[in-house]
Amino acid sequence: MSQLPWHSLSLNPLAAFGILLTLGVIGGQIANRAGRLPAITGYVLTGLIIGPASLHLLNQELLSAADLFVNLALGLALFESGRRVDLHWLRVERTLLLTTLCYCLAVFAALCALLLQGGLGWQASSMMAALGMATSPIVILEMLRETRAEGQVSERLTTATALSSVLSVIVFAIALSSAHLQNQHSTEDAILSPAWLILGSCLLGLLAGLLAIALNRWLGSQQRQRQTVLLFGLIALLVGLSVMLNVLPSLALLVFGLATRNLRGGHTVSEPGLLSSSHFFFVAFFVAAGAQLAPQALASHWPLALAYLLLRSAIPMLCWWLLAPQNCLSRQRGLWLGLALNPLSGGSAMLLGMSTLALGADASAFSGSMMAVFVISELAGPLLTHLALRRAGDIPSED
Amino acid sequence: MLHFNNSTPLTLGVELELMILNRRDYNLTRGSDDLLLLIDRQPHGYDIKPEITQGMIEIGTAIHQGSDTMLQELQGIRTLLVSSAQKLNLGLAGGGSHPFQHWSEQQIYPKERYQLVSELYGYLAKQFTVYGQHIHIGCPDGDSAIRLSHYLARYIPHFIALSASSPFYQGMDTLFQTSRLTSVNAFPLSGCMPCVENWTQFNAYFQHMAGLGIVASMKDFYWDIRPKPEYGTVEIRICDTPLDIVTPTLLAAYAQMLAHRCLEDGWHDIQAAHYHTYNYNRFQACRFGFDGVLVDGAAGQQIGLQEDLLSTLNALQPQARALNCEKELSLLRERALKRQSDSQWLRAIYRASGSLSEVVRRQSEHWMYGSTA
Repeated sequence: MSQLPWHSLSLNPLAAFGILLTLGVIGGQIANRAGRLPAITGYVLTGLIIGPASLHLLNQELLSAADLFVNLALGLALFESGRRVDLHWLRVERTLLLTTLCYCLAVFAALCALLLQGGLGWQASSMMAALGMATSPIVILEMLRETRAEGQVSERLTTATALSSVLSVIVFAIALSSAHLQNQHSTEDAILSPAWLILGSCLLGLLAGLLAIALNRWLGSQQRQRQTVLLFGLIALLVGLSVMLNVLPSLALLVFGLATRNLRGGHTVSEPGLLSSSHFFFVAFFVAAGAQLAPQALASHWPLALAYLLLRSAIPMLCWWLLAPQNCLSRQRGLWLGLALNPLSGGSAMLLGMSTLALGADASAFSGSMMAVFVISELAGPLLTHLALRRAGDIPSED
Repeated sequence: MLHFNNSTPLTLGVELELMILNRRDYNLTRGSDDLLLLIDRQPHGYDIKPEITQGMIEIGTAIHQGSDTMLQELQGIRTLLVSSAQKLNLGLAGGGSHPFQHWSEQQIYPKERYQLVSELYGYLAKQFTVYGQHIHIGCPDGDSAIRLSHYLARYIPHFIALSASSPFYQGMDTLFQTSRLTSVNAFPLSGCMPCVENWTQFNAYFQHMAGLGIVASMKDFYWDIRPKPEYGTVEIRICDTPLDIVTPTLLAAYAQMLAHRCLEDGWHDIQAAHYHTYNYNRFQACRFGFDGVLVDGAAGQQIGLQEDLLSTLNALQPQARALNCEKELSLLRERALKRQSDSQWLRAIYRASGSLSEVVRRQSEHWMYGSTA
């Protein structure tokens, strides 16, 4: 009788993925019904409850096994986010580009100053500040899908999100090279590393875009379903290749999306949009993200984390408020747009690993502070975005 | 009692309902408020207003003597709209219906009248997210307006074929040249005006309907052609919004020539018998466009729509000369001879691309940047 399976019951990766999805949906629904909260908050809370930090229903090993789905979700979101950047629009509406540059650089400078003041080294501060520039594409896209938000705030929000992610990874790559240099890694590492990270990622994304357009054309106009499968395949391939080639998957995917949106013939590459079919990957992503959270980091890092998040909320709000009329928005809607940019990028977690390798002695303080930031941001970010979109009038009223 | 504000005979004006699109997948987007706000930041003097759902906007021209000045005004309106839409990353397009929007996703514009329509008609109000061109022709008095309304009913299939631009609806090829009118047909007060002979009789009819609590104003009649007493015009409401800004002026010129003939000839052949085949002929035009077959109930004859249109256009030469719109007549004849319709062009794009999103993208480029030569 000791051979019966329930005597040595342990979850395998597929069961873990099933749990992520099932409990995630239940959690999302409870958050929606009971607390009138966004479903994303429910998914993250579910993850937090079943993850290693609480009930330990999922351990780190199982979460790592679910990485495939999580990375695919992130890939889909980053690709879709890149597709929201319309270069034709940015040429006409330069103020949008300038406003985004302006608030991102201001956030970077302010966070750097704060973190240096808080006792972190220059390299750790610059990397953590670079991560703070980016808004999470996956949270923004899922929130827009869930709420069916539309309008000028949403339109500018998606573009600013994608651009902030691009800026963030570029600044991060430069900060990383500086860290290599400071920690007596070779000069070659310091120069080649960011060049490879940035140019390699862009080149890979661009090639994927050209390939998608060419294959799409070759498949023919009546093969919409095959084109969608092809696109999923290319996104998975790009995530995998980026890891293999040690480039930045987030930048490669953003460039991939951007290329298919803006190159000739790329308009029909993603039709129908991938978002509707990506939903269950997104649910898994948010539950896994919640499960990765370690609230105990708050105990020692909460003051710095709180100050970090306050600065990164206040600066975009101020910039968008100031430049709202030039962006065809009322001041109030500008303010809400600044607030909607709050969720911290989910792609940042991917970059954390790279940072800790380069930082040496500062690595532990850096990871602890970032974890504390993530704990607050993952829970509060979607709520703030939801509130901002509603107040901006972009969420349709119930009929 | 409705008072008919007499206007200068044969003057013209058009209204065009336009789609507001996102430039990502070219679906409809709730952009009317943002667009209107931006447009109204500068003084322009044009008539641009919201429509029943937020993915629509309506533009109207001033009163014109002829279609050439109307085209100039439409160009001015388009320039203003395009510059604002570009800043907001919105697309604008003509066409009678959006090929793949879903009616349930549309939002009623927050204006009292539209809210009332929505309350009364339920889902029909959202399904009314279709886009038409209205042509106004000035009339000297109410009696002339009644006569002209009946006269133009005979030519409704021509207007349908010339303007047809809604072959796709809710993601499907309907096989119709215009699917828009099916949405209009669902309204209980759609169709055609009753067979009244003059303004007094019309007024009596209106009072009767108002007394029964069925209508409160002329706006409650969704007829294909209706008198518009406050403007002093007859309004043709059957056309799809064409894909460019030249075609609306050609349609207006055609209406003007027909009206000229009606008023000059003193036409007064108002009979209920003329309406026996009205719906059938209307269907033929919607379904087959230039290839439709029309039935003349009084003469007991059938005739191809294209042939009927060409012979009508040929007979309008004197009116074209009198109104100085021979160029417009010639363009209309050319289109009729080639059976050239917007619906065919849209279907050709779909055949080549397999993408309705691409169809709307091309539609939008055509309206926003198309040549007016």
